[in-house]
Parts: sequence; structure tokens; C-alpha cells
Amino acid sequence: MIFEDDETLRMYVEESLEHLSDIENDLLAIESQGADIDEDLVNNVFRAAHSIKGGAGFMGLGTIKDLSHNLESILGLVRSHEMVPTPEIISVLLQAFDRLRELIQDVETSNSVNIDTLLQALIAITEGSLPEAEKKTVSEKVFIQHPVGQARMEASRFDLDQAFKHGKFLYLLEFDMLQDIQKKNKTPLDVITSLLNSGIILDSKIDFDAVGTLEDDFPRRIPFLILFASIIEPDMASILVDLDPEYVHHIPPEATTESGGTESPVAADRPAAPTAPPEKPAVKTVEKPAPAMPAPAPPLPEPKPEPAVSPPAAAALPPQEPAYASTAASWSSGNTDDPDDEISDSASKNDKQKSQASLRVNVNLLDTLMTLAGELVLSRNQLTQGIATSSSQAIEAAGQRIDMITSELQEAIMRTRMQPIANVFNKFTRIVRDLSKSLHKEINLKIEGKEVELDKTIIEAINDPLTHLVRNSVDHGIETPDIRQRSGKPRVGTIRLKAFHEAGQVNIEIEDDGKGLDPEAISKSAFSKGLISEQDIQTLSAKEKINLIFLPGFSTAQQVTDVSGRGVGMDVVKTNLDRLGGIVDIDSKVGSGTIIRIKLPLTLAIIPSQIISVGKERYAIPQVNLNELLRIPAAQVKERIEKVGKAAVVRLRGTLLPLLDLSDVLGIKKTYIDPETGEEKEDRRVNIADRRSAQLDGGREKVLKKEDKAPRKQEDRRFRADSAINIAVVSTGTFRYGLVVDQLRDSEEIVVKPLGRHLKDCKGYAGATIMGDGRVALILDVASLAEMADLSSSGASKTLAHAEKELIESTQRQEDKASLLLFRNAETEQFGVPLNLVERIERIKSTDIEYVGGKRVVQYRGGSLPLHELGEVANIQPLPEREQVEVIVFKFTGREIGLMVSPPVDAVEATLNVDASTLKQPGIMGSMIIGGRTTLMVDIFGVVKTLNPEWFTGLSATAPVLDSNGQMQGGVKILFAEDSAFFRNQVTSFLTEDGYEVLVAEDGVEAFSLLETHVDEIGLVLTDLEMPNMDGFELTRKIKGDSRFSHLTVIALTSLAGEEDIIKGQAAGIDDYQIKLDREKLLISIRDTMASIV
Amino acid sequence: MQKQAEKNTQENRLLELATFYIGDALCGIDILRIQEINKLTEVTTVPQAADYVQGVLNLRGRIVTIIDLGIKLGLSSVEPGKDNRNIIVDFKDEQVGLLVDSISDVLLAESSRIEPPPSNIGGVQGRFFHGVFKTEKKLIGLLDINAVLED
Repeated sequence: MIFEDDETLRMYVEESLEHLSDIENDLLAIESQGADIDEDLVNNVFRAAHSIKGGAGFMGLGTIKDLSHNLESILGLVRSHEMVPTPEIISVLLQAFDRLRELIQDVETSNSVNIDTLLQALIAITEGSLPEAEKKTVSEKVFIQHPVGQARMEASRFDLDQAFKHGKFLYLLEFDMLQDIQKKNKTPLDVITSLLNSGIILDSKIDFDAVGTLEDDFPRRIPFLILFASIIEPDMASILVDLDPEYVHHIPPEATTESGGTESPVAADRPAAPTAPPEKPAVKTVEKPAPAMPAPAPPLPEPKPEPAVSPPAAAALPPQEPAYASTAASWSSGNTDDPDDEISDSASKNDKQKSQASLRVNVNLLDTLMTLAGELVLSRNQLTQGIATSSSQAIEAAGQRIDMITSELQEAIMRTRMQPIANVFNKFTRIVRDLSKSLHKEINLKIEGKEVELDKTIIEAINDPLTHLVRNSVDHGIETPDIRQRSGKPRVGTIRLKAFHEAGQVNIEIEDDGKGLDPEAISKSAFSKGLISEQDIQTLSAKEKINLIFLPGFSTAQQVTDVSGRGVGMDVVKTNLDRLGGIVDIDSKVGSGTIIRIKLPLTLAIIPSQIISVGKERYAIPQVNLNELLRIPAAQVKERIEKVGKAAVVRLRGTLLPLLDLSDVLGIKKTYIDPETGEEKEDRRVNIADRRSAQLDGGREKVLKKEDKAPRKQEDRRFRADSAINIAVVSTGTFRYGLVVDQLRDSEEIVVKPLGRHLKDCKGYAGATIMGDGRVALILDVASLAEMADLSSSGASKTLAHAEKELIESTQRQEDKASLLLFRNAETEQFGVPLNLVERIERIKSTDIEYVGGKRVVQYRGGSLPLHELGEVANIQPLPEREQVEVIVFKFTGREIGLMVSPPVDAVEATLNVDASTLKQPGIMGSMIIGGRTTLMVDIFGVVKTLNPEWFTGLSATAPVLDSNGQMQGGVKILFAEDSAFFRNQVTSFLTEDGYEVLVAEDGVEAFSLLETHVDEIGLVLTDLEMPNMDGFELTRKIKGDSRFSHLTVIALTSLAGEEDIIKGQAAGIDDYQIKLDREKLLISIRDTMASIV
Repeated sequence: MQKQAEKNTQENRLLELATFYIGDALCGIDILRIQEINKLTEVTTVPQAADYVQGVLNLRGRIVTIIDLGIKLGLSSVEPGKDNRNIIVDFKDEQVGLLVDSISDVLLAESSRIEPPPSNIGGVQGRFFHGVFKTEKKLIGLLDINAVLED
């Protein structure tokens, strides 16, 4: 029967689960140490099993008791160096502990669970390590009669032998539930725990027979009997266990001879225990039943003596092996429940640990919370007092305090929810171990960043997806040792699991050095499953093809194994991660491995987000999904927004981005702000292409519309609009698109709240939040919005790819385009600087500028930002004095520098047609016409170098070593192909300045012929991408495809480093990408390459 | 005596009804189901939601879905006006607001005088009602909140 005291049972379960929580890692550690065991570690596991057993006996949990008892026996042998923990034994132990955990988690039904096969496996192991003669002792039962009462305790012969062998005395302790336990304010578990400190418990039970029935008088005692083995001498025992000597019965070894488990013939051939301590001459006269004891043989609750183990087989094999062999045999013979299931499911059951209802919190943190709560109360008092006395000063002060306390409180409470990712990572050691064994692979799992903390809910939610990914890596990623060896890899595969913080997010990487994913195989498979059309495949990049495995209904395994093929595909992984606001990304190289990167928010409850508005309502876009904000001025709408097929697209730095009008998707009326009156008006454009405008109301509109319509049909597929278009560029992880909104508002930290059940069908929202004014704003789910608009990545990419091609053609015609940041110094002079060099733009008050040490600085984020103006270097008109100053921040060699300028500061995309002679001067590299104005192109590198020459001295030291003749060692020259004269001169000049010799070519054809004649001198190829005759991609392909040149590093110089370009470049074999005007990075890249050559 | 009284209350339990108008129909619900009645008007519309969802509002930090009871019951939508009220009820651990045209009195109804609903009350299907309660002047339909809020 089960002891029916909920409280005690609950405590027992909690305590036992706690004992079990670390067992797995301990066992794995024991396994790795092999024969050279760490006794503390084994002891740990032993004690866990032992205390679980102790409690189970008392609670009447027979199954749990049997299981833990057998575990204990094995661990005891390991501890006393009588058994070597081989991987086979550890496997069985792990399974047994898993089972034990399940039994305890479901403690009420534990007694009806059949664990015979497992028990037999355990007994077989114990027996396997024993001399032949002692084998039988394991399953043999010995009954010990209470010297005065009726009760009978039982223990296995093996345990008794072990106990006596280690010089222990055997006691039968008789506690009284009333006097000794309840009156002393203890629980039975306390008693057991304290006994465990000084010995081992062999059996325990409550003697209900002694209590009598209800009809009898109230019982005087409820005996709680414990069969206890300890090294304590009999005269000390009663003091130690805190019992009256009357109730401490010392059982001499002779009294333990009664055998009940096996039939008499067995007894005949068992000699006395050979290694019994000499001072205890164990008189094991089994043949002679103790006369005082009645010896009935009741039906056995214990497992029957091992029928599955055939002694001859066991004897024929070496000592350790037979145990496992017979174990395996009994597992697969499937005599009771389905044992195969038992093995393979143990890990998965393990995964589905219920989400914790309670949580451990650091006491310091709790104290902090208490202090903050106290502070909050004080501030409230201050506030109410302030309100009562209508003192606005007091109210303001209290308001500020409350503001501070609230943020601190929020942070502290968040911290209580944070848990180390080790909680998830740790179990992978076991999963990888078990899986690799069953798949016959050798895998080394490396875990990094265990200490990284994540919100509890996220930890729980990433468990399944991560498990799936790790399993995939083991199952599909890593090859079998033989295959690995054949392909020249180490036999042992490596899976690296890594967590780290970056940019306010937690990154998790799962990397394997396995066979990698084959984009072609994946796309073929997707095609054969009808997930994608053949035309679509052709437009996909290799990475997009790999990402097809996230499509629902996709599974790459040729045959579904029981490891990965559990009906859960990668699509579920992705959906799960999406739900968490996470992003998953796969990189893979056939033959060398796969890396899966996951980005997760730290917490789900509070997320930074961008507020936008459409119509009358505000919406929030989580920052995780937001790449950038784009405002296309009315004048540029027609140039930058185009219609491809049905979809509108925007040109963004050389790529085309599909556009989605939020108001269309959600069916809201849109508004815009009239540029002239500043009023918010209803936008009546049907789509972005529409040129109707509010100003053209009335009769004129019709006339104009007619005029407009005629030419539009023909060639002009571009748009014109009277208002700027605001676009939030969002990313769903696999692809990006632009969300057209009415207005862009602030970025705010919002608290995510769930939507009610009546809104469950509205897919476009991830929840709701409450804004500062108390109103509700909906949080947009950008992935679902794209889905609703049927803007799926594969569907849209077809039309896009077409448009992309056109775009590339057009850029090739148009020469180099680059994004420039335009600004003024004096009102009349316009300057430009490449946008990609700009770190950020700040607006500061001129009163905040300090003059320190002859330099101007401004305090910024706890540091000092040096400020300069262009006039210090170049001969230009001075910067006018103003109250506010715009500061463009650049970063060089890790240091920031601020350039003070005048507005308007604006970013434009312009064709770089730089006149590098007319207006050139120090700090100015040339001039060009932008928007009808002569614009001076700032050589920001030169400016900084003039202002702070010492910043670059360190770098020059790493510049190439010239030999005594002033020639580069090893004849390493740089071949530079570039069609634009301006860039050719610009780049050549600073390369020469840095000490390199440069060979110049105007296009790919010329470059390749130069290469053929100067192959021995050239160490590096630097090439522009868009060139006439032969472009950079083609040139690279030719170089990489030619055995004479394939060793050369190719760095591509580009003004547009679009993602597509980079992928295309990688396919062609380009080693590195550098932006043309980013001199610092380019030089560093060249130096690195050259250093490796020299 | 005591037993008699107990029996009485069992058979003739008194129900406190909060009554309100949806269009011309007078409806009532057990007052114990109501958490509060307010007239918050700051409702945020939810595009793409079912037509009977008026929107969501912030009720002291909780997001509450507001259901236009008029549309939900198959009548015309609740006319915006100064008498409009949100009746906040608990439904499956969630608070839901029922937008009604106006609220009326709280009545005591003896359960013995509640009759099973006819198939149609003032144009509303009978399945939304527990029963009808007749007063001297009016007929009050007892709304079955669970039936109304279930899909």
C-alpha cells in the first residue's frame, strides 16, 4: 500500500527529484573516468539511490524501492572498486535512473508499473561482477524475524553479505510513529535521512499488524521498523538513533540465514561468504533453518530469479561482458512490455519535463526586491503627501523616484526569471551520447556559454526545438566513423553547442563538422514533394535552397529514422522559434559541416519595438524584426518605387525589396500628413502607384488624371506621389520586406500582453501592449503579415529575381552608385561622405561642448567624444555658431571622432562621378554634382589622419616589411582592376602610400592578361565588380578556375555590398568584400592577406 | 420550519439580474457574473477581427476584448451614444467586455417565475437565452453568457 500522507509523499517526491537532478551528469562523469573512479562522485550517486530507496520502503512504493535498491547494489560495487563502470553498465544505469525519475514523477501509479526487464538487467550486472559462487545471492531473499513481535523484514542475501563484509552490524530498529516521530516533531523521512548518515537501510516498513484493527482499543504504538546496517557498535546504537535500547534489536549474522527467495537446493552449494571479516566469523549455516523462525514462503513481490540469464553463456564470456550481453538479450526478447520502446523513448520522455511551477531565487535578489518594494512604499507616501499639500515640487520629486524605482524593480523581477541555459544544454551530453551509441557514431559534444541566462519561459520553450536540432546534427549531420575517415576527417565528429550574448539578444549556435546540407538535394527533394516549382528553384540562391528545409512537409532523411523522424520537422522548429520572436538561420557547406544560428530575445515579457501608425491606430513592430526605417521623399518616390508584376518594390542600396502596404493587408484607411498644412489627411491612393492626391480635388483632378494616364500606360511604370512614403524594413529571418505605413513614431519598450480568445483567429498580431496614454496598441507579427499577403519568400523571389537582374543590368550601365551622407558646413557649401563610414549622427547643444586640453570634446555615454570641424583641415568657409550642432560620428581604429556640421544632413544614393582634380585639397578628395549642387567629397580618412596622426602609427607598424632594396619581399604586388578612373586613382594612391606596389587594369580582360604575364609577382587581386568587357565575378571565376592562379586571394571592391552580391560573389570564389571608400577596413584586410603570404 | 424555508429557497431562489438594452430587446444577466460596468471609450479597433469584435481596451493593465452584443446576437450594431456601456464579465479566466446600448435596472427575479425561452426574443435566437423572466410590464431575456461568448 502507498503511504497516504500527501504532505510526506510530496516532500519525498520533491526531495527525490532533487537527488536525481544531477545524477545524469555525475554518471557521465563516472563513465569518462573509467576504472579510475572518483569516489566522491560515485558516493553522490550511491547516496541518491540509497535515500530514494529508504523513503520508498517506508512509503510503500515497492517498485521504486526495488529499482533503487538494485541501482544501489551496483553503485556500491563500483564504489568499492569491485566493478568497473563500463559504458555498457552506465547505459543501463542511466536508463534505470530515467525510469526511476518517471516512477517518482508519477508516484501514485508507480506500483503498477512493470519494470521486470530493467530489474533483470540490473541484477545481471551485479551478478556479472561477482564470483560465480556469489551470483545467486543477489536475488535471494532473506527474512529477518522481529525478535519479539510478528513482523518480518526482508533483505537480499547479497546486501547482507556486503554489509557484513564491510564490518557492519545489523539492527532492527523499532520507532514509534506516535512517540518517537510525531511527538518529537519529526517526519519519518527525517528519521530516514538521519539514519542514512551513519549506515544503510536495508528495509523499512510500518507494522500495521501490531496496530490492531479499529475495533481494538486505541493503539499504544505504531511501530515503524527499519532494518539498518551500520558500523556503530551495538552498545552505542541506541544513543545514536535516539531510541530506547529496548527497541534496538541487534541481529547477529546467524539470524539472517533464513532464505525465502530461492528453493533449498540452491542453499546447498553456497559456501560461507569468503571475505567476511575475521572477527565476525560468519556462521552461515544455511542448511540449518533457525528454529525460532517460522519459514513460510509467501508469494514474492520481488522479481523472480533471473530466468533470462543463462548461466553457461554468462560463464563463457569475460566478467563484465556477460552482464550486458544478457541484458541486451533480455531487452530485445521483449518478454513483458515493449522494451525497444523503453530504450528509445527514455530520452524523449525526459525532454517532456513538465514546466516548473516553482523557481529558485537568489536570496540577495530577493533582498533587493524587498528593498525596492520598501522604497516604492516610501515614494508613494511622498507622493500622497505631495498631492495632499499640492506641492508640485514634492510631486515631481516623488514622480522621479517612482520612475527610477520602477525600472529597477522591473529589472530585478526580470532577473528572478532568468535561468542559465545550462538547464537545457546539460541534457544534451546524454542525448548525444545515447544517440551516437545507437547510431554507431563517435561524437564529441562541446558546450560553451552554459552560464548565459535567459528568461524561464524561453528556456522551457527552446527545449524542444534545440533537442530536435541537436538530434538532427547527430543523425543526419555527423557521418559514421568509417565514412569520416574515408573523407579525410577525424573519426570522431564534433558538435559544438554555444550560447553567447550579442546586441541584447542571446545567440545559440549548433555547429557540426558533418556532411553538411546539399542545396541541390534539398531543392530536388522539395520539388519532388511538390513544395516548390522547378522555375522557382532556379531563382533561388544556395542559401535559400538550404532554407527550404523549413518548409512544412519537408524531411531530408532518405528514410525516417526513429531518432529524427518523430513527425516533427524543421518547420515546427522554425514555427516554435518564430513564436518566441527568435530567428533561425542555416549555413552549410557540403562536406564540411553545418552551422545553425538562433537568435533569441532575452525575455518575452518586455521587448523594444518601433511604434508606427496606420489610419487612426498605432501598432508596434518588435525591434528584433526591424532592420531599418526608410523614408522616401515625395520627389524620389517615382524613382525608387517600382511595380514588378503585381508587387510594388523599392530600390534599397542596389537590391529590390518587396513592399507590403500595411493598410491593404489589414484593410484600414490610410492617412498621410499634408506637407503644406501639416494636417493629417485621408490618403486616397489606391496603391502606391496611384497618383491621385488630395490637392487635386474637384474638376481639375479629372483633367489631370486624363492627361496623366495616357503616357503611363507605355513606358513610365514609376510612381509619383505628393507625400513621402514611410517604410519599415522588416525581416522574418528568411527574407526581408518593406512595410509601408502612414507614420513612423517613437521606439519604445513595450510590455507584451496576450489577446483574448475572440481574436485568436487574427493572425497578423503577436499580442497587444498598452501605450503611455493608456490606449492599447497591437503588436504586429511580420511573418504572418507576409503570409497573409502571400509574400512568401519563394513566391516573391521569382518576380524579384527577374527585377534584380534588370537592376544589376541598369547599375552596370550606370556605373557605380553609392550611398552618401550630405551635409553642410557653412550654409552655402555642400559636402558628401560615404554613408557606410558613418557610425551615427548626434545632435548636441553647443553649451555641452567642453574645451579641454586644447581640444573640443562632448561627454557621451560616459566617455568623451572628440569634436572637430572640417575647417581645421580643409580651406573652407567657417562653421556658423548655432545653439545646436549636428555631429557625424566616425569610427577609426576603434576610436570615435565627431565631425561638427550644419544641417540639412541627408542621405542620398548617387552615381559616383567624382572630379578628382578641380576642387581637390587637403581633406577633400574631389567634387561632384548632386541634386544640382557642387558637392565636395570629404576624404574623411585623410581628415582624421591629419588631425590624429598618432592613431595610425600602430597600424603602419603592421604594414609590409620592405627588404634592404626597398622591394617587397617575395615580389608581392597587388593587381587592381577598376573601371572608374576616380576610384582607380584613389585606391592606388592609398595603397602606394601604405607601401604596396600596384598593377592597375581597367577591366577584367586587361587584369587577366596582366595576371598571366606577372603571375609570380602578384600576391593579391583586388577587383571592382561592375566593369565592362569582363566583370569582377567572371574575373574571379577565371582566376579560381585556373590552377596557376587559384591560390590567389581575391578581394572584391564594391560600392554596393548587397547580400545577393555577396552570395553571388562567394559562389564565384571571392574571398572578401570591401567597400570602396572604407579605406581603413580595406587596408586591414589587405594587410592580413599580405601578412599571411609573406 | 427551518427545513421548510430551505426548501423554499431551493425551489424559489432569488436571482439578481442586471438588465440592459440591446436595441429594443431588454436582456438580463446574473449580476454575479459581472465584474464591473464602465464606459471606457478608448477602444482600439482590431483590423481583420470578426465583425462583432468592437476592439480591445486597457482595463487597468489587462487587454479586454470588447464584443458588440448587438452584432453578436444578430441584431444591428450598437448605436454609439452617451448611454453605451461595457459590461465586463468573466469568461473562462478571461475578461470580456459586452458593449450594450444602455443599462437598465437591477431586478430581483424568483427562479420559479423564469420560463424556458421561446425560439425567438425580440429578433434574437432562443439559443442565447437561459429563459425569460416576466415582470408586470416587460419581458426580460436571460442571456446565457457562455453560449454568447462561445464560438
